[in-house]
Amino acid sequence: MRIMFKFLKSYRASASVALVFMLVELFVELWQPLIIAKIIDEGIMNSDIPFIFKWGAVMLGISLFAFFGGIINSFFAAHVSQSFAFDIRNSLYEKIQSFTYANFTRFPTSSLITRMTNDVTQLQNTVFMGLRIMMRAPLLILGSTIMAFTVNAKLALILTAVIPFLTLFLAWIMKKGGSLFQSVQVKLDGVNSVMRENLTGIRLIKAFLRRNYEGKRFSRANLTLKDETVYALRVMETVNPFLLFFMNICVLVILWLGSELVPTNGAEIGEVVAIVNYAARITSAFSPLSFIIAAFSRARASAGRMAEVFETANEMEDAEGSIHSNREICGDVEFMGVYFEYPDTDRPILQDLSFRVKAGETIAILGATGSGKSTLFQLIPRLYGTTDGNILIDGHDIRSYKQESLRKQIGFVPQEALLFTGTVKENIAWGKQDASLEEIIKAAKAAQIHQTIMKLPKQYEAVLGQKGVNLSGGQKQRLSIARALVRNPKILMLDDSTSALDLKTEAILLKSLKEYKCTTLVITQKISTAAEADSILLLEDGRLLTEGSHDSLLKNSQLYRQIFESQFGEEELEHAQRSV
Amino acid sequence: MLRDLFSPFRYKPILDNSGSNESPLSRNKKPKVKNQQQTLKRLWRYLAVHRIHLILVIAMVIISSVLSLLGPFLAGKSIDHYIVTKESKGILKLLAGLAVIYLFTSVTLFLQNYWMVGIAQNTVSKMRNDLFNHLHKLPIPFFDKRQHGELMSRVTNDIENVSSTLNSSVIQVISSILILIGTISVMLYLSPLLTLLTLIIIPLMYTGMKWITKRTGRLFKIQQRNLGDLNGFIEETISGQRIVKTFSQEKKVIDEFISKNSKLKGAGFWASAYSGFIPKLMNGLNNLSFTVIAAVGGWLAYKGHISIGTIVIFAEYSRQFTRPLNDLANQFNTVLSAIAGAERVFDILDEEEEANDEKNMYDFPYVDGRVEFCEVSFSYEEEGKTISDISFAVSPGETVALVGATGAGKTTIINLLSRFYDADEGSILIDGKEIKKIKREDLRKHMGFVLQDSYLFQGTIRENIRYGRLEASDEEVERAAKLANAHSFIMKTPGQYDTVLKQDGSGISQGQKQLLSIARAILADPSILILDEATSSIDTITELKIQEALQRLMEGRTSFVIAHRLNTIQKADQIIVLSDGQIIERGSHHELLSQKGYYLGLFNSQLRKI
Repeated sequence: MRIMFKFLKSYRASASVALVFMLVELFVELWQPLIIAKIIDEGIMNSDIPFIFKWGAVMLGISLFAFFGGIINSFFAAHVSQSFAFDIRNSLYEKIQSFTYANFTRFPTSSLITRMTNDVTQLQNTVFMGLRIMMRAPLLILGSTIMAFTVNAKLALILTAVIPFLTLFLAWIMKKGGSLFQSVQVKLDGVNSVMRENLTGIRLIKAFLRRNYEGKRFSRANLTLKDETVYALRVMETVNPFLLFFMNICVLVILWLGSELVPTNGAEIGEVVAIVNYAARITSAFSPLSFIIAAFSRARASAGRMAEVFETANEMEDAEGSIHSNREICGDVEFMGVYFEYPDTDRPILQDLSFRVKAGETIAILGATGSGKSTLFQLIPRLYGTTDGNILIDGHDIRSYKQESLRKQIGFVPQEALLFTGTVKENIAWGKQDASLEEIIKAAKAAQIHQTIMKLPKQYEAVLGQKGVNLSGGQKQRLSIARALVRNPKILMLDDSTSALDLKTEAILLKSLKEYKCTTLVITQKISTAAEADSILLLEDGRLLTEGSHDSLLKNSQLYRQIFESQFGEEELEHAQRSV
Repeated sequence: MLRDLFSPFRYKPILDNSGSNESPLSRNKKPKVKNQQQTLKRLWRYLAVHRIHLILVIAMVIISSVLSLLGPFLAGKSIDHYIVTKESKGILKLLAGLAVIYLFTSVTLFLQNYWMVGIAQNTVSKMRNDLFNHLHKLPIPFFDKRQHGELMSRVTNDIENVSSTLNSSVIQVISSILILIGTISVMLYLSPLLTLLTLIIIPLMYTGMKWITKRTGRLFKIQQRNLGDLNGFIEETISGQRIVKTFSQEKKVIDEFISKNSKLKGAGFWASAYSGFIPKLMNGLNNLSFTVIAAVGGWLAYKGHISIGTIVIFAEYSRQFTRPLNDLANQFNTVLSAIAGAERVFDILDEEEEANDEKNMYDFPYVDGRVEFCEVSFSYEEEGKTISDISFAVSPGETVALVGATGAGKTTIINLLSRFYDADEGSILIDGKEIKKIKREDLRKHMGFVLQDSYLFQGTIRENIRYGRLEASDEEVERAAKLANAHSFIMKTPGQYDTVLKQDGSGISQGQKQLLSIARAILADPSILILDEATSSIDTITELKIQEALQRLMEGRTSFVIAHRLNTIQKADQIIVLSDGQIIERGSHHELLSQKGYYLGLFNSQLRKI
């Protein structure tokens, strides 16, 4: 709940205005019955038309006042609740953007989405409601209790005797409700997650005709969500009847006490009547009160879920005084005894990995599926931190660079070409926001995608769907290469990013990459690509098996020869070995 | 801090109703004309299923209302009979009776809510299921054009609006209407003339409400749409977090987020501000009506048309008239937001399903595997053909390789064959039957796919392989994994076949994902096998091993293979070379080499001497 107050702080003034006008409205509302009584008693009873008109006008006047008060209240309440939610969403999003990769394994995407929309909406509604009606019920209860005391303290005592009990009960139910709604939100995450998987994997589901299977999976998630919600709401719905019964029993006790006290002159009859009336008023405030309790329990659960996000530590915050904050790098990369395992696992992915790439050199990384190539790549822009060992760039530990300035100089092309909804131009300009059209075209040309783009209906302004669905695999890959090239990176990293390209295009592309003066790391399956590199790293099960040029590996490495043979056949292998 | 006081006046009015926030791709879709009443009617259809429970709820509302009137009445009696007379004997009996009534009041109150929660959540849950099931009937292009997060928002945020309204509003509305009817009847009984006077506020109320709801209805809808939009943006940028991070574009996405978020805030502000006006308006109008009654009544009494006592009682009642009206007015807001949510759910439910209703559908129990493309043309967009005039024939059991530069139309041919899309022109025949006349499900039942994006689900490795054939035994799953060369890496994972893959199959490498996809297709044991870049991320040594398995798999089945590494397709019976959506060469490996065309060039580039 602390989050709520933290974010409400900046809207103290507006919230106060909303509350003040709510009080004005409340005041007018309480005053109205008095005026009505006056009109009835003095005006109508005496058929005093001018009196009726006079007080009728007064009543219209104050109700007009209340009307405007109410409008101002709702205006400010809307402003506070909307801005409050706006701020929370922004902070949540900013926080998530600062997450490390490891943090994301803790929160599935679908859950983060629910937290940022559904949970925030819960809070927003509670704040809006709070500013408009929250204070009413407690004020009414408090006022009535005080009034009861002034009438007859002895009889009213029973009302106060209830208060500690009530407070305890409400505190307990709020806590209970909080944990119930917490699990409702978790189940909502579940529904959201199945939904997301189905949207992402729709082709596969259709291809394998798994509609019914997925339908069952979804209804299961949906059913548990329903059951949790029903249970939570039903528990909350016991509050009102329970309070009501309790309060009514109090009335009975008052009546009984009254019947005992009145004959002995311990109380006046009128007093008994008045106190019973006040008790009735308190009772009538319970219905909104229990509604508020339910809303707060829900808000509490949602606030807790947000706090979880906010409190997640980012292990990879920049070190204090990152010395090389804005240094331009040359692109010399060195791994020194690097070990790595993914968080929460104990299976080493990389072991004792050491190698060096000099600035401007091209290095190719080969290895079997699952040998750790992509993992190695992720360490350089610090998507993950190493478990042990150091990675140096230009001789300085990468942890001494500011993440942003480091990543700015790296052009990363991931294995799956991730594109975003938007135009082709926007997607390339991801690499460099202020890129001019010339720069974009230059990158596109180098990535061998310019001609394809020019054939699109709107060329660079053509709109791509989510994840670039309307492009072929190879087109997506080339766009994502263009995106990396547009920033003129010092270090270019290609993670098997040409797998969907035909060899001809690939060869031209690789050639044009040479015009970019940068250190290039290429993960590849193809000997033909690797052979062009200055040096080749051969990985096996997370270890560096051997390193060297194409020729020397051909001579010295059994595995390399096997790979060569798998691609070119025995004859070629013999031929190549002879020529070395 | 004080500056904040002026900010509520800085919200820009929202004039735009054209849906500028919607994905530009869906902009060409015609807006559906719909109104709130229709949406309400549809919602009612969902609720009506629970008619019996609803009647129970209404019965409980009536009983609890009567009981809650009876309680104070008897309490008053006890004062009159026992306290005023100072004769307390027997009061305990009456009080005990009262206690029973109070107990029943609480019980009926609890029961009405208890049942209502059940009705509401069952309704909402049904809506979610309907939405989900309908989504699966929609054609692939629908998904290609939408942001996933936007669709997700409809299942969570929009339905949430409906849910919270049904939970609380239905009972409130019912009880308010009951009280209103009761009050009006008494008023009519007392003085029809004054009642008519009271009702003069109704046209005013109607006008006022109309003015407000015209705005809020639209604003709520915009708000929900903006929320969906934001949801879409969040989903996309979090899924693409790797790119955001490696390109250090956190600031850019945050800025974009803020701008979408402030759109949501703007719509939300006006929606809640306007809807906040409703109760205030009702209150004002009620006071007006009371004043009129008092004045006219006073005058009537003065003239001697009615008794003063009548006016007094009547005035009291007209005051009571206010409360249920106010409650109703308050419920109006939540109902409006529910309508906005429901409308967005119904929008999807109204999306056209994959065209399948053609008559004279063929039965398709068994497939030989003869495939023919006859002058097939297709384009994804309106202009520019992706493929044109494609014709070829494949005999049962043959293997066809599709070769060509990226974007030449290879995957498109697969998309058409499996009816993810339908051809614009020409026809595709399987065993001589036009596939447009075969149900998609029947068609795909005979096909096994390894798609370009090897998508895996959250779940164990075993479950993911078994996706190919749900009834497969554990042994069969393992056999398929062994054939696909996935077994050895699976055994190295901590839980082996029971290792849980996280969302989007993260935790294993891209190549390993492909191995699992191949195992999945092997398990499916289809008549027609489709391999679209099935081994592109797999190292070539492993690939060679799988190749043997695939070769065995392809024997006796019609197979379509897309691959860039030509050595994997040399054994194909037929190689089709595509360029810019047209077939430029075709034949076996050796035939093509001797044609000395495009294929030879490709082949040489791969075998270029190093």
